[in-house]
Amino acid sequence: MTQRPFTVALIIPTGIGAAIGGYAGDALPVARAVSSVCDRLITHPNVLNGAQLYWPIPNALYVEGYGLDRFAAGRWGLRPVHGNRIGLIFDQAIEPDLRIRHLQAADAARATLGLTLTDAVLTDQPLGVTLNTAASGATWGTIQNPDSLLRAAEKLIHGAGATAIAVVVRFPEDISSEALCNYRHGQGVDPLAGAEAVISHLVVRTFEVPCAHAPALSPLPLDPNLSPRSAAEELGHTFLPCVLVGLSRAPQFIREKFQPHDLTTDAVDAVVIPESACGGSAVLSWSRTHTHTQIITVADNHTTLNVTPQSLGLSVWRAQSYREAIGMLVALRAGINPEALTAKMLPIAFQ
Amino acid sequence: MITQFIAIEISLSDLTLSLQDTIEAQLTLQGEPLRWAITAVNQGIAHVEAVVLQEI
Repeated sequence: MTQRPFTVALIIPTGIGAAIGGYAGDALPVARAVSSVCDRLITHPNVLNGAQLYWPIPNALYVEGYGLDRFAAGRWGLRPVHGNRIGLIFDQAIEPDLRIRHLQAADAARATLGLTLTDAVLTDQPLGVTLNTAASGATWGTIQNPDSLLRAAEKLIHGAGATAIAVVVRFPEDISSEALCNYRHGQGVDPLAGAEAVISHLVVRTFEVPCAHAPALSPLPLDPNLSPRSAAEELGHTFLPCVLVGLSRAPQFIREKFQPHDLTTDAVDAVVIPESACGGSAVLSWSRTHTHTQIITVADNHTTLNVTPQSLGLSVWRAQSYREAIGMLVALRAGINPEALTAKMLPIAFQ
Repeated sequence: MITQFIAIEISLSDLTLSLQDTIEAQLTLQGEPLRWAITAVNQGIAHVEAVVLQEI
């Protein structure tokens, strides 16, 4: 008997200090575990990117956040691919030596992993990223010259035939800042994350192709007390390898002419999110229009926010941990009410 | 074109559209929404933080 593929979306928003997934690809073990109990896992760069560490998950779809929101809202579909031709954009503000380090990482991905890349493009202006923190504690950022980024992407997509875009932008750095110190020790909010999301969102919104970003930064002084959750970002000169690997098989976005293997939002059986971060666009979409999509919240994955399902009137299954959430996914896949796996069950009552 | 951070408040009590459509409609008054989320809910008010695109 052919079953409907059991499809799970795993979302851990970036830039909100998630205890698991708020650092250097430290939600990747969660993604690996979830992928083993579903047929298809839809997740995003913040979950899968571990700088020079990555783990290709055969049934995972690497979907940038803006595209994920559009997909959840039913505006775009996802078309799995065998491979993408990745175009690489460098911010003009990157110092020559640092640029060469990143070019060598791209060449290594070609030679050692067999990925397909176009020639690189340098932006015609420095992109001018600024970093900020909002009242909520979430980080965000702006780009001084977004048009320059889009001109570079257009060259790669329409001139060089790129089907996915990797962007490397020079980020401001203050190695003495408290935020960076906290981040390296596995605390607080990633100061770069919000701005990174703005960069990739801008490219995906404009060209409707997969995109992900790697910041260009100088190496940090050795810290013997580094948190394991942040350590993946201190292995070398670049965060680019995970981005290239993710983009190499990222699904394409489609608006029409759907084919049998394409995914639409109603294919999603469950979405797993931190309990305190229920106010994102994708979660609201799945809570509103597709009642068969089961939302599972994870209490242990604290964030700097406090937007609970109760505060928004959302109906969810509440898990304390990802281990419990994975048990719920197994039950859902088997058509078993998770309540039946507990000692407490109330008798049926009349409405 | 510039990217701009904005914050808005939405009352949850008198929505005529869905919450999501209401947020996007309010954000669109100030630009094209690029990234947004409800970041707090206090006394029936949803606080939304967003980055929008604005033409200059």
